[in-house]
Amino acid sequence: MRRFTQASAVAVVAALALTGCGRSSDSTAGGAASPAKEVKSGKATGAITVWALGAEGDKLGSIAKDFEAANPAAKVTITVIPFDAAHDKIATAIAGKQTPDVALVGTTWVSEFAGSSALDATPTDVIDKAKFYPGAWDTTSVNGTSFGVPWYVETRLIYYRKDLADKAGLSEPKTWAELTSFTKGLQDKAGVKWGISLQPGGQGSWQTFMPFAWQDGAEIVNGKTFGFDSAPMQKALDYYSTFFKDKISPTDLAQGALESGFIRGDIGAFVSGPWHMGILKDQGGASFQGKYAVMQMPREKAGTSFIGGGDLVVFKNSKNRDASWKFVDYLTQVKAQQKLYSLVGSLPAVKSAWTGGALSTDPLLKTFGSQLQDAKSAPAIATWEQVASSLDDAIERVSLGKQDSATALKAAQAKANAIGTGS
Amino acid sequence: MATAVAGRAPAPRRRPRARVRRREALAGYAFSLPFLLLFLVFTVGPVLSSFGMSFTDLRSADVSRPLSVNGVGLANYTKVLHDESFRQAVLNTAYFVLVGVPLTMGLALAVAVGLNSGITRFKALFRVGYYLPVVTSIVAVAVVWRFLLEPDSGLVNTVLGYVGVDGPSWLRDETWAMPSLIVMSAWRNMGTLVIIFLAGLQGVPREMHEAAAIDGAGAWGRFRHITVPVMRPALLFGAVITSIGYLQFFEEPFVMTRGGPLDKTLSVSLYAYNQFGFGNYSYAAAMAYVLFLAIVVLTLVQFRLLGSRD
Amino acid sequence: MTTQIRQTSTAAPAPDPSGRARGRRRSERAGIGDPHAQPWIYAVLGVGLIVLVGPFLWMLLGSFRPNRELKEVPPSWLPQHPTLSNYTKLFSQLDFPTFFVNSVVVAVAITVGNLVFCSMLGYALAKLDFPGKRTIFVLVLGTLMVPGVVTFVPLFVLVSNLGLANSFPGLIFPFLAGPFGVFLLRQFIQGLPDELIQAARVDGASEFRIFRSIMLPLCRPALATLGILTFLTSWNMFLWPLVVAQSQDHYTLPVALAIYSIGENKSDYGLLMAGSVVIVVPVLLVFLALQKHFVRGIAMTGIK
Repeated sequence: MRRFTQASAVAVVAALALTGCGRSSDSTAGGAASPAKEVKSGKATGAITVWALGAEGDKLGSIAKDFEAANPAAKVTITVIPFDAAHDKIATAIAGKQTPDVALVGTTWVSEFAGSSALDATPTDVIDKAKFYPGAWDTTSVNGTSFGVPWYVETRLIYYRKDLADKAGLSEPKTWAELTSFTKGLQDKAGVKWGISLQPGGQGSWQTFMPFAWQDGAEIVNGKTFGFDSAPMQKALDYYSTFFKDKISPTDLAQGALESGFIRGDIGAFVSGPWHMGILKDQGGASFQGKYAVMQMPREKAGTSFIGGGDLVVFKNSKNRDASWKFVDYLTQVKAQQKLYSLVGSLPAVKSAWTGGALSTDPLLKTFGSQLQDAKSAPAIATWEQVASSLDDAIERVSLGKQDSATALKAAQAKANAIGTGS
Repeated sequence: MATAVAGRAPAPRRRPRARVRRREALAGYAFSLPFLLLFLVFTVGPVLSSFGMSFTDLRSADVSRPLSVNGVGLANYTKVLHDESFRQAVLNTAYFVLVGVPLTMGLALAVAVGLNSGITRFKALFRVGYYLPVVTSIVAVAVVWRFLLEPDSGLVNTVLGYVGVDGPSWLRDETWAMPSLIVMSAWRNMGTLVIIFLAGLQGVPREMHEAAAIDGAGAWGRFRHITVPVMRPALLFGAVITSIGYLQFFEEPFVMTRGGPLDKTLSVSLYAYNQFGFGNYSYAAAMAYVLFLAIVVLTLVQFRLLGSRD
Repeated sequence: MTTQIRQTSTAAPAPDPSGRARGRRRSERAGIGDPHAQPWIYAVLGVGLIVLVGPFLWMLLGSFRPNRELKEVPPSWLPQHPTLSNYTKLFSQLDFPTFFVNSVVVAVAITVGNLVFCSMLGYALAKLDFPGKRTIFVLVLGTLMVPGVVTFVPLFVLVSNLGLANSFPGLIFPFLAGPFGVFLLRQFIQGLPDELIQAARVDGASEFRIFRSIMLPLCRPALATLGILTFLTSWNMFLWPLVVAQSQDHYTLPVALAIYSIGENKSDYGLLMAGSVVIVVPVLLVFLALQKHFVRGIAMTGIK
């Protein structure tokens, strides 16, 4: 009871007293400066609590069993969190100081949580940066310090109806101009209703758009300066919006209509990540396999795509830090990475894991592997989700023909500047 | 004589009355205490915290040291009022409330009157049926409504097609997205109101209707002059509860449109939630308290218009 | 005319402690207007019913469909290849009994708490006179209007400071005393006649006895309404149980269901439908059990 009254008094007083306290100038750095401590060698011991996400996280259990077999004195407890609420859960847990030892997080969250001083810096004596795809490693790096390790990756490719393209005599496009004529050709010669389906704005549409901007050399942020109103960004958005203006891509596709439209042959192509292989297999059945293929992004100045995925982080409050990092290290060994692929189909973030099994033989997967060599991540700034929403907004305005790209991007730039990079 | 009585009478009565009053007050506090204890700790505490938060520059990055933030006075509030998306959200929310509340209440009242008009068969079936949308999970509801409103093959546009109307892409159309959500919300929420109104209707004595019918009053006249006055308290309760809920309109745009297209279904609550997700805790709090003010004003107006005279 | 009717009608629903008036009331309840419902009313209500129940039926039918069929465009009404696989998956993948029991514990505790605490305060606010009562009512009603999104984090910080994270008290306590119930019951109890209380006081009944033996029985309908509404909200709570539970043994059904049905990039709609059906069933049972009280109740009192 005593604790009860005390705590509630503290909460109320704290709320009222907030105005009386001030920021000290060094409290905003987010702990980025503190260097990582070494991890003691030897086997891992003690209890390690892990938060994993969704059905994928559920499968982590069997890999953890292997780890426990190798480290008999360690005990891993996994709590699975629903995917769409994971960010809120972790952010709230940080506020309430109820974090676990290890968690799997979305790549765009690392900078935010690191900014809250919640994450432990990656110990370089245990983790070897060089073994990961560089784009994936970048997602953990905040102001030059790494706060986590990539676990699985995904990148975006163009899925297309190979059977229809072959019938129409169309070959894989290599440039922007060719992509336009390819998708138009699918409409004119192969009779599809929509040559390609691109996201006409809405949440997350930047992930489809940004590859085109990167292909033209645009940058989201350079240091603390945003680059939305740059010439290459504008050129990319103009190019992107021609697909809607020329009625090559639909602007009002209902949720869930993409897959069935693609399987029916109404939609000739779309941009997406590796998970769509599984969805198309489920929905299209065996007969549909082989009717479609994936291809790398077209080149303008470069052939860049987007890289996302999941990162493993260790929390500062961890009571078993060394064992936690050893567990993380175990999960990024080739064996565990390949097991992850075989269990849930998540693509390994470690390059050398791509040498065995389907990862080295399946043509679809191999294309993903090649694209990963040239893929960029969202910038590791704490305010990214908010900045991204203003970019999504600009994409929507231009795609729907409400504004020209210069006006929309200028507005996005102004919003981004007002939001800042959070550091 | 009369004055003498009046002057003397209260004196002997004063003592017991004071005792009764004290006893009543003590009982009042005793009955209030358990609720208030929990309420002060778990509701008022966080409300005060968040209200205090709205005058600071607290962001999610500060949560591990909440005392080391700066007070910024009313800066968040002035920023809210100049925020273009917020203004759009206010307009959308007003649109939603002004159309949605009367629509939901009208439908619910009509159903309640219908259910009360002497139907004897399938009573329970009807009651449960009209309540089903309330209990069905929003995720399932969203899936079904998306199929219904699908532009090419959805049920709504298919039916419209029979009569030669080319239906729009409901959820992606700037004009039609909000009306779609209003209809969906009315569908989802009328069940609760039907129950409340059905209860209120039980207070209407049947004899009065019969008498009025003999006097030659039509069905509409009887509804207007007998049913509605008796229903006034239930209508007030329904209006207040529905308005509070609708002003905090969130779930439908969250699962159906995420505020799009072009912010046309962005509600104040959804916008505050987004800001909260971006980590702008203090800014989201300021937004919520602007909304709070609007709710208070609307509730006061409703009490004025529909409230009982006591 | 209007005033006259209002006077009569407010007098009419006054309950009679002796129960004498019960028979008369029953005849009143038969309905307004026409003594016998006309077929067209059935027809209109029936059409409305189809519109309202349709999506629920679709969910029910959907739970017997394979995933692939659920994503077909255009959708069909009847399952083409009916299957129980969604349900077997639901019961085999999830530790169903644990989650179900957790959900029941949380929802029942919150419901009971609200019935007890809200009826006490509601009674005090409606019928007892004491200084500060208006302030309390305004405060309670005021918090009903604060959007929950901003109090969420402060509440969690508070609960973890109290050491209640990952515990049932942490899941339950914050919702035991809700403003909605106070509002509902105060409005309700105000409609009950004061004479009952005065008579009981003259008979020497204690204040608690008056509340327990006279007020509560009369409130049954309002309590039934509050019961179903509170049960429904606490049964469906998602974000709070997720955030408070630090380990899966404290998860509730909606949380557990979301883990398996909603993935990062694809969702298991079949499992989602089956889960939604399973989650709805207990609420429907509670509703069926209580629905008679809804109507009988306010017949006696009327919300004021």
